[in-house]
Amino acid sequence: MQKFKTLVAAAVAVTLLAGCGAGSAAPEASGSSSPAAASGDTLVVYTNSNGEGRGEWLTQKAAEAGFKIEIVGAGGADATNKLIAEKNNPIADVAFGLNNMYFVQIKAADAIEAYEPAWAAEVDASLGDGDDEKAYWPLVKQAILLGYNSDKITPEQAPKDWTDLWSKDEFKTRYERVTGLGTATAQLVFAGILSRYKDESGELGISDGGWKQVEQYFQNGSPAVAKTDLFARIASGEVDMGQMPSSIVAEREKSFKVNVETVVPSVGVPLAVEQVALVKGTDKKEQAQKFIDWFGSAEVQGEWAQQFNSMPANKVAAAKAKPEVLEFFDGLKQQDIDWNFVQENMGSWVEKIELEYMT
Amino acid sequence: MSGAPARSMLRSPFILTVGTVLTWFIAAFLVWPNANVLIETFFPDGSFSGRAAEKLFSSQRAMKSLGNSFLLAVALSVTVNVVGIFIVLVTHYFRIRGSRILFLGYATTFIYGGIVLAAGYKFIYGDKGIVTAFLLNVVPGLDPGWFSGFFAVLAVMTFATTTNHMLFVANALKGVDYQTIEAAKNLGASTWTILRRIVLPMLKPTLFAVTILSFLTGLGALSAPQVLGGRDFQTITPMILTFTNSPTSRDLAALLAVILGAATILMLAVMSRLEKGGTYFSVSKVSSALQKQKITNPAANIAVHAAAYLLFAVYTLPVILIVLFSFADGAAIQTGRLSVDSLTLDNYVRVLTQASGLRPFVISVIYSALAAVIAVGGLLLVARILQKHRNWVTALFEYLLHIPWILPSALLALGLIISYDHPNPLVGGAVLTGTTVILLIAFITVKIPFTLRMLKASFASVNSSLEEAAAIMGAKTLYVFRRVLLPLVLPAAAAIAALNFNSMLDDYDTAIFLAHPLVQPLGLVIKANTDGAEGVDGVASTFVYTVLLMVITGVTMYLVYGRSGRRRGSKGGKPRGPLAAPGTAAPAASPVVDVRDAQASAPVRVP
Repeated sequence: MQKFKTLVAAAVAVTLLAGCGAGSAAPEASGSSSPAAASGDTLVVYTNSNGEGRGEWLTQKAAEAGFKIEIVGAGGADATNKLIAEKNNPIADVAFGLNNMYFVQIKAADAIEAYEPAWAAEVDASLGDGDDEKAYWPLVKQAILLGYNSDKITPEQAPKDWTDLWSKDEFKTRYERVTGLGTATAQLVFAGILSRYKDESGELGISDGGWKQVEQYFQNGSPAVAKTDLFARIASGEVDMGQMPSSIVAEREKSFKVNVETVVPSVGVPLAVEQVALVKGTDKKEQAQKFIDWFGSAEVQGEWAQQFNSMPANKVAAAKAKPEVLEFFDGLKQQDIDWNFVQENMGSWVEKIELEYMT
Repeated sequence: MSGAPARSMLRSPFILTVGTVLTWFIAAFLVWPNANVLIETFFPDGSFSGRAAEKLFSSQRAMKSLGNSFLLAVALSVTVNVVGIFIVLVTHYFRIRGSRILFLGYATTFIYGGIVLAAGYKFIYGDKGIVTAFLLNVVPGLDPGWFSGFFAVLAVMTFATTTNHMLFVANALKGVDYQTIEAAKNLGASTWTILRRIVLPMLKPTLFAVTILSFLTGLGALSAPQVLGGRDFQTITPMILTFTNSPTSRDLAALLAVILGAATILMLAVMSRLEKGGTYFSVSKVSSALQKQKITNPAANIAVHAAAYLLFAVYTLPVILIVLFSFADGAAIQTGRLSVDSLTLDNYVRVLTQASGLRPFVISVIYSALAAVIAVGGLLLVARILQKHRNWVTALFEYLLHIPWILPSALLALGLIISYDHPNPLVGGAVLTGTTVILLIAFITVKIPFTLRMLKASFASVNSSLEEAAAIMGAKTLYVFRRVLLPLVLPAAAAIAALNFNSMLDDYDTAIFLAHPLVQPLGLVIKANTDGAEGVDGVASTFVYTVLLMVITGVTMYLVYGRSGRRRGSKGGKPRGPLAAPGTAAPAASPVVDVRDAQASAPVRVP
């Protein structure tokens, strides 16, 4: 009897699960009546930019525009690995949110396809794919910054550059340092530091002086604490400064009731640009292209910028960005980074840093 | 061993059928995908390079982290046993006032774990914790950051991982024959002597089995060292995860995983060996149920009571704080400052009113339940055969079934993708990627080693004379299995299924690679709401999800244990308690563990 019950339970469960899967099929069949959608298919969109309500906002806006989309959220590295692993039988139709470092890997693995969106002329092409056959296109600009507690430190006292953190005694114990290089932000910080020490004859293209900086970074500083935000540590006085992407600053200042100012080194700050691309081998190509045309358009990017404090790459949309964001990016000096050099070497750099310098 | 038993196995159609299915499953889902991913990792251009080993062995950090992981594994094997045996004794062996309440406190580890558990301990013992504040008053010179490093990690992980003791050792204790204890008492043996010479030796096979699990937990430690390890005590798992995610360093991740896997297998072999040397037997053929023992020495009695209630506080305080903090805002959680007026339902409203709503919960419950039932159901037959027939064939199968213990789940998932993203004859020419089945397969395979170990052990504790009697009376193999063996191991099987179910509810590592885009389980939703920039809402959501999962797992454990405990209790006279097995009133098997039984780890005994 017990066994019979188990069997029934299993059968019910299988049916339910199949139902969940079939749920996707049903709207497909009836969806052909929707106006904009030629095939009515659900577009599968991979992104690392779905947190803090972004995914739901986009799903809803897309539905209003006649696109039925399903967001699959994953960290930058996970999404990249997933896209590459699935290239023989792609599940996604569109990928967005990953920065150029990730997309260059995906393109090298032949998992995305060249496409020129309708809004191509509205963005600075140099922010996206560097090849002639452009596969990924810029959406959102993100500056990778060194921020400090401005309630405690005046702009005059503040560090002028990353390298001050470990070369000046007053900062040595006051900055948060990363404990892993898995995140895009951390990788970009090191891209910004290491590319200043480019040396053909050095190890992995970096001079000994450059590696010395990395060593110093890890020998000093206060290691990051899992599940404790840098702003929480600043608020409690444990540390006074650390790395942060520009888009989170305003919201975190409010939540943790701290004031943070950011440092712009004389070489400028590294800019991470979130991109969008068409997945190669999708059977909903036409629909996916229409979605990219819609999503990257000045109108949608402008709304996105309003909603999530972002800085659009689309020049027309930039007008709709929040004034404080615009102001910040207006005076911002972008660090000149040779992205091809960085992309070629980042894997080995991360490996070397993880193995030799991190403590 | 000889080939004769292996040949004789082929004469049974039952074994042949199970064997064929098993061979296919192992080949298709354990060997082929993982061989693929390892080949791609170690031979990227078709030739092997010693790069990974060279890099790793020259890295100070890798070696130190690896050493820390091993140190933690060994230390945990000892400390978990000490604490685990103590809490089992105070809840099930000694007469302690309020042992029911104590049991509930100790059982909190059934329902939560991971990063939130570590955070919970930090709220209490961290530099702003309540205990630290108290200690600072008592010991003025104390370092507020005293609770960090190896000691803190070991302490937290010890208290967090006594689940297996509470489930399996406690059950084994119930099988100890009370007549032996009475006999020893009549001969003048002290409480301590009885414990040391009679009770503990009978628990040995179970203790060996749970020791392997503790060792494995220590080797794979991730969140406790990240939260509490500080600069000096970091383990190898974070490094493995980073390298798994980086295509150019994946060979390092695979090599590290293989090193840990080899250590686990070695531990398995050592434990089997130790077991072989011992004798675990009962003197009576008609055993009687255990009765709780009074500690006669008043001083010892007070000391044991005090220690039991102190441990109770240690176990329950983090849970209480986690539940409280789940109502606070993220900033309060991260700064560890709780004020009663700041507690609101906002977090719960935010999490539960998302567009996705309860759907991810339903999907995860279905996936986990299916995987738990299929893994346990399928392995019931397999474990039985492996336990009964011992020869080189079954030994080989057994080792192959442990493959999922060796590789991290992300690599297992990648292996499945690259093996089944094209029509593959191993699965009848089907393409599995992009279907709902592939995640289910992954869930099932991941749970195989644990399920197998525990099931095999429970079969080992079934008295073979019952089976023989049934066979002599003309019962067929399947009939014997269904009517005689299955009822006896069912309580154990249910326990294992419940643990499997609980552990898969919030899985992220596998689901991220294999989930169907339209059928996304809870783990992915949790990640989206809690990760990325670990913002304010994110951390608060982590706590809410933890509490919600506590509710689900708590209900599961109640369904499996709570109700059967009552049913059992109502029959009177028999030992009560939530862990008693349902409907097995007759003491069928005497607590004899076969001395010849090399793998006789008997975690769950049927009284």
